[in-house]
Amino acid sequence: MSQGSVILKLISLPISILLICLGIMTILGGHITPGGGFQGGAMIASGIILSVLVYGLGNSPLELSHLYIEVFESVGALGFVIFGLIGLFVGGFYLYNFGTDLLNVVPAAIQSVFHYPDVTNAGIIPYLNIFVGLKVFAGLSAIVIAFAGFKKIVEEGE
Amino acid sequence: MLSLGPIIFGLILGLVIGSQIKLNVSDAKFTKASFIVILIAGIIVAWQSGNYPFYTDLPISTAFLSALIGIFVGKLLFARSK
Repeated sequence: MSQGSVILKLISLPISILLICLGIMTILGGHITPGGGFQGGAMIASGIILSVLVYGLGNSPLELSHLYIEVFESVGALGFVIFGLIGLFVGGFYLYNFGTDLLNVVPAAIQSVFHYPDVTNAGIIPYLNIFVGLKVFAGLSAIVIAFAGFKKIVEEGE
Repeated sequence: MLSLGPIIFGLILGLVIGSQIKLNVSDAKFTKASFIVILIAGIIVAWQSGNYPFYTDLPISTAFLSALIGIFVGKLLFARSK
């Protein structure tokens, strides 16, 4: 599976790490800049994909286990749904922004717990970005790792 | 005022992903010196990003830097080498 030269193998892990950091930065700036959960998650997944393509499945320094992918895909989806349901029960609308509370219907204690700690008064939007980012990162990485695994099986069968 | 959100969540996401880095699995050798070079390169990228995403507390991207530190700490604390 691995097709990388020595130079590729030397440079791929550092570039993967920097790509992952850029993805995290994009996720965390999603509420005030272009970007957000999907774009940042795709950038993180691109770091994993680069590593898997260059080093090969089974040899990659950045390879995710089945359990890890399963856990973070579920955490991403469940977190989004749970935040939406909290908004439904507390504010009356699904995905109501109870961290900012424009309608003044949420108790101050809940509002202060879920308020994102920065100067923009964004409420729960950054948390939703983080959940979407986790889900996209796990999903896209899983697709490529599965394709690499299928290719390995085909090559071993020939 | 320093915005704590990007720092805290950058560290958490970095820890989560850094826990999956396993060295000594390929024929390319990465030593401690390699990671110091990656850290310096990351600081340069964070510096060139400016105060992204538009916080005015520091002239450096705190989200990027905390993610990089989180990845290294996650690799040191949680990563299992094969």
